[in-house]
Amino acid sequence: MMRQAEITGNPMSDAPAVNTRGYLTRRRAVFVIAMLGIVLVLACVVALALGSEYVAPNEILVGLWAKLTGAASPLSPEHEVITFGLRLPRIALALGVGATLALAGAAFQALLRNPLADPYVLGVSGGAALGSIVALMFFSQVAFARPLLGFAGAVAATFVIYLFGRREDDPARLILAGVITATFLSSIIAVLTSVAENVKLRNITYWLLGDLSSGNTQGIVFIAVATLIGAVVLVTQARALNLMMVGERDAFALGVETARVRWLVFITASLLTGAAVSAGGAIGYVGLTVPHLVRLASGADNRLVIPASSLAGALLVLIADTIARTAFAPRELPTGAITALIGAPVFVYLLLKSR
Amino acid sequence: MSSPIRTIGHRPRARLLTACCALLIAASAGCQGTRPATQQNVATNQRSFTDGIGRTVAIKADPQRIISLAPNITETLFALGLGNRVVGVTSYCDFPAEAKTKEQVGDTIQPNLERIIALKPDLIVVTTSSQLEKLARQLDELKIPVYVTNPRSVREVVASIRSLGEVTGAGGRAEELAGEMDRRTRAVQGRVKDLPRPRVFYVLQNSPLITAGRNTFINDLINLAGGRSISGEETTDYPQFSRETVVARAPEVIVFPASHGTDLVNETDLRRDFTLTPAVRNNRLVRVTPDLVDRPGPRIVEGLEQLANALHPAGETKKDTAKP
Repeated sequence: MMRQAEITGNPMSDAPAVNTRGYLTRRRAVFVIAMLGIVLVLACVVALALGSEYVAPNEILVGLWAKLTGAASPLSPEHEVITFGLRLPRIALALGVGATLALAGAAFQALLRNPLADPYVLGVSGGAALGSIVALMFFSQVAFARPLLGFAGAVAATFVIYLFGRREDDPARLILAGVITATFLSSIIAVLTSVAENVKLRNITYWLLGDLSSGNTQGIVFIAVATLIGAVVLVTQARALNLMMVGERDAFALGVETARVRWLVFITASLLTGAAVSAGGAIGYVGLTVPHLVRLASGADNRLVIPASSLAGALLVLIADTIARTAFAPRELPTGAITALIGAPVFVYLLLKSR
Repeated sequence: MSSPIRTIGHRPRARLLTACCALLIAASAGCQGTRPATQQNVATNQRSFTDGIGRTVAIKADPQRIISLAPNITETLFALGLGNRVVGVTSYCDFPAEAKTKEQVGDTIQPNLERIIALKPDLIVVTTSSQLEKLARQLDELKIPVYVTNPRSVREVVASIRSLGEVTGAGGRAEELAGEMDRRTRAVQGRVKDLPRPRVFYVLQNSPLITAGRNTFINDLINLAGGRSISGEETTDYPQFSRETVVARAPEVIVFPASHGTDLVNETDLRRDFTLTPAVRNNRLVRVTPDLVDRPGPRIVEGLEQLANALHPAGETKKDTAKP
C-alpha cells in the first residue's frame, strides 16, 4: 500500500511540500500510527479514571476488564453509571469530534495547498453551525434535525465556496471565498442569536463554544459512521492529493482526475465538518493545528498525514475535554475554549518555527 | 398603533439636543454644574430615595409616566394598581395581559435608550440585569430618575415591593400586597418546618447541564419550600454542572422549569442520564412554571407554593411529622 516507488518515482518529488522529512517509508508510517494509537488508548483509560467524582482507578480497570470479558460488573451501580454511562460516551464523542475535525482540516489543507485552510477559516463550520442553530431554534422537536441540517449547512457552504472560488490552480481565490463565506455566516448567526428568545439564546451560546457534555448516543453513532467513511475516502485519495499538492496541472498530466478528486474530497470534508459541528458544537483549532503538528513530526505525505491527523485530533479533543470537565469540577467548562487555549499557543509556536 | 409614535417622533430629538446643549453648558461651568439642579428639584416637589443598590435617586412625587425594564417590575407595578401609569415595558413583559399592549422599549439587557427618552418618563425602574451603568449614567445626565431594584431572595422581593410602593406613591396598596406575600410565605414555611428536607436538583437546561448556585433566587425558593439543593454550595450563579456529580449526590427530587414549546429541558434525556438517582427511580421529576419561579415579583409566592407542594405533597405531613 505504501509503496515508496510511487513517491520517489515522481519527478516533482523534490517539491518542498513533500519532502520536509524525507520520503515516507512503511516503517515510519507504521511507527507513527502505532505510537499515536497506543497514546490514544492510554489517554482514554486515564480520561475514564478522571472526573468530578472519584472512582478508584483499580476499580475502573477491573470494571473495564469485566466489560470486555462479559463478566458481571464489580462496580457499585453509581460508579458503573458514572464511568460507563456518563464518562465513556463523552470520551467516545470527544474522539469522534476530534478525528472528524482533524480529518477535514487535513483534507482542506492538502486540497487547497494552503496552510491556513481548515473548516473554520473556509466557513464550512459556519455553514454547519448555522444549520444546527436553525434546527435548534425552529425544529427542536424533529428527530435528527440537528445533524441533518448541520450536514446540509456544511455542504451548502462548500458549494458556495466552490462556486465562487473555483479557478484552476488558484487556491488563494478559494481561500478568499471561504473567508468571506465564514464572515457572512457568522454575521447571520450573530443576528439570529440576537433576536432569539432569551432562554434559547443561552443554549446557543454555550453550544457555539463547543459542548461535548451531552454525550448523546445519536451523536456518537453519527460521528462514528462519518469518521469511518471520511477516513476511508480520504486515505484512498491520499496519493492523488500528494500529486495535487505539487500542482493540479502536473497531477492531471500524471493521470490524476483532479476535478473528481477535488469534488470528492471537498464533499467528504464538509460531511465530516457537519457531523463534528452538529454533535459537538463549534470546537475550534483542531482542524487547523493538528495536521500541521502531524506534518511537522512526520512529513507531509498525505498517506500518513490523513490517518495520523485523525488519531492526533481525537487525542487533542480528548485531552481538552478531560480538562474541561475536571479542572473546576463539579463545574464544567466549554470544550472549545480549552482546545483554543491549547491550540492557539501551539499554532503561534509553529508559525514562529516555520520562519 | 404607529401614529402616536410618529407624532412624538420629532420632539424627543429636539429635547435631546437641548439636553446635550445643557450638558455642554453644565460641563463648561465645571463640576458645580449639577448644584442648581438639586435646588430646582426641591422646588418641584421631589423626594430622595435610596434604591436597591444604594444609589440616591431624586424622584418626583406620584410619578405618572413610568417605564419598567424587567417583567417582574412590570408585574409589580400592575399589582400595585399603577398599570395606567406604565408607559413603556420590555419585550419580555407579558403579564398581566394588559402589559403586552404597552409600548416596548427593547429587552431587559439592552433597552433602546432613544425610545425610552422619547416616551418622556418621569421614572424608570430597572433591575441589575440590564446594562445598568451605561443606562443610568446617560439617563442621569438627562435628569430622568433611574430606580434600581435588586432583590436576591423572596424576603427581598417583598421588601422591594414595599419600597417601590413608596417611590410611586402607592404605599398603601404595596403594604397590603407585601403583607399577603409575607403571610403566604410564612404559611409555606410553617407547613414544611418539621418535614424532612429532600435533596433537590434544579435543572435550568440539560444540554449542557445548567443548574443554580448558592446566591440565586432558585436556591432561596428551594430552601423556603423545605428542600436543599445539591448545588446549593456552588459560588457561580448558574454553573454548567457535572452529570456524574449529580449521580453521586443522589437527588431525591429533580425540578425543572417547563413552559409551552420552548423547553430547554428534555425530560427523556434527564431520565436517561439520571436513571439511578432516587428522583428518577421514584418518579419525582417535577415541572414548575418558569414565570412563577424566575421572576422576583408578586407571583413569586405562587412559585414558592408550587415548589413546596411538589417537594412535600399532601399527606406527607402525617407520615413524617416530628410534632407530638
